[in-house]
Amino acid sequence: MKYLSEYRDPAVARALVTEIKRSATRRWVLMEVCGGQTHTIVKQGLDELLNEAVEMVHGPGCPVCVTPLEQIDKALALASRPDVIFTSFGDMLRVPGSECDLLAVRARGGAVKIVYSPLDALELARKHPDKQVVFFAVGFETTAPANAMAVWRAKQLGVKNFSVLVSHVTVPPAMMALLESPDNRVQGFLAAGHVCTIMGWTEYEPIAAKYKVPIVVTGFEPLDILEGMLLAVRQLEEGRHEVENQYVRSVRRDGNQPAQDLVSQVFELVDRSWRGIGPIPRSGLGVRAEFAEFDAERKFAVDGIRTAEPTICRAGDVLRGVLKPFDCPAFGTLCTPEHPLGAPMVSSEGACAAYYNYGRFRNGAPV
Amino acid sequence: MCLGIPGRIVEIHDTQGLPMGVVDFGGVRREVCLAYVKDEIQPGDYAIVHVGFAISKVDEAEAKRTFEVLREMSQLDELKWMEGLAT
Repeated sequence: MKYLSEYRDPAVARALVTEIKRSATRRWVLMEVCGGQTHTIVKQGLDELLNEAVEMVHGPGCPVCVTPLEQIDKALALASRPDVIFTSFGDMLRVPGSECDLLAVRARGGAVKIVYSPLDALELARKHPDKQVVFFAVGFETTAPANAMAVWRAKQLGVKNFSVLVSHVTVPPAMMALLESPDNRVQGFLAAGHVCTIMGWTEYEPIAAKYKVPIVVTGFEPLDILEGMLLAVRQLEEGRHEVENQYVRSVRRDGNQPAQDLVSQVFELVDRSWRGIGPIPRSGLGVRAEFAEFDAERKFAVDGIRTAEPTICRAGDVLRGVLKPFDCPAFGTLCTPEHPLGAPMVSSEGACAAYYNYGRFRNGAPV
Repeated sequence: MCLGIPGRIVEIHDTQGLPMGVVDFGGVRREVCLAYVKDEIQPGDYAIVHVGFAISKVDEAEAKRTFEVLREMSQLDELKWMEGLAT
């Protein structure tokens, strides 16, 4: 087994689709909270195949999309400094700030480099002791252990010219914020398999119980997602609301303990603003005081940033699952992957970009 | 963003006190940090890798079991389909 191609078998997918349709006596509303899953669902048309049995609502599952404008503007300010080499995962480079994006800063001569791993950014700092290397530490719980390790390692090795601009968010508070919202329609969740690989699923048990929603920890391949949907539909049909684990090959109930330990050594829970959604209490991670020298916001003065979101963009409603991307007046006209107004159009994992790239311009069949 | 890719661990070593290793992704090899899985993995095991870090060992027995359950479902589905043709 290679653990990839087997989970893309069309015959098995067909059987799962049949079984989901057979199990559903009505149409259920499920939300996935992972941009990777959103991409697979839209690309493979899983939601259209199952349209009569399940409505898939795409949640705020793309860290690139929910990074607040203020943090993007801080990144732009830092990347413009002549003494800074600004490093980032590739997907952040085209996210629009108030005035431009990181690519534009690079075009004007700013040193902006894409790295694959935060350890590569740390290595860059060791090679350029005359420069300040700043890494844009974004992501969900999945990415936090990698970013925490870069900070911990910088301290251990005494690398003084490395720091992180943090915009980490955590999934469960966002799920609760959605469930508390008066216009919520979501009846069950597919939880992100790699977030749970790190965190396990114990945090989700009180959410499933309190809000009476099934939560199925789900993987990323088409068969994983279909099986996750089937488990959720079966729970809804039987009136159950439990946490189930579909992604057993990677996720254990308590998650990855060494990873959780290092994350809590380096980071602490803080209030975070989510782009398009707004502030959610204790929904993010920030650098602990013990590691303050590696916190770019403490190290450099990046205050006085004033932000302005384009008013026509409805990214917030899309991220909350209230609107589908094609319901936004700017979708596909003023806002395209080449000229994105809102972050969900930037990353290929954003719902707007997925809908645009796979021809979903209106409800139902592609145009 | 949370993309994690399964790869086979080829080699395990130590870089200035940090457990690192080489992981093969269908022919492409990369240096990966193994700090978070070091107590459970050996060369030959599969791990899920995210931004240069192994985040879990793939449970092969569970992976096979899940897949077999799904396969059986598809065979049943085909059987039903053929029955449908016959009647």
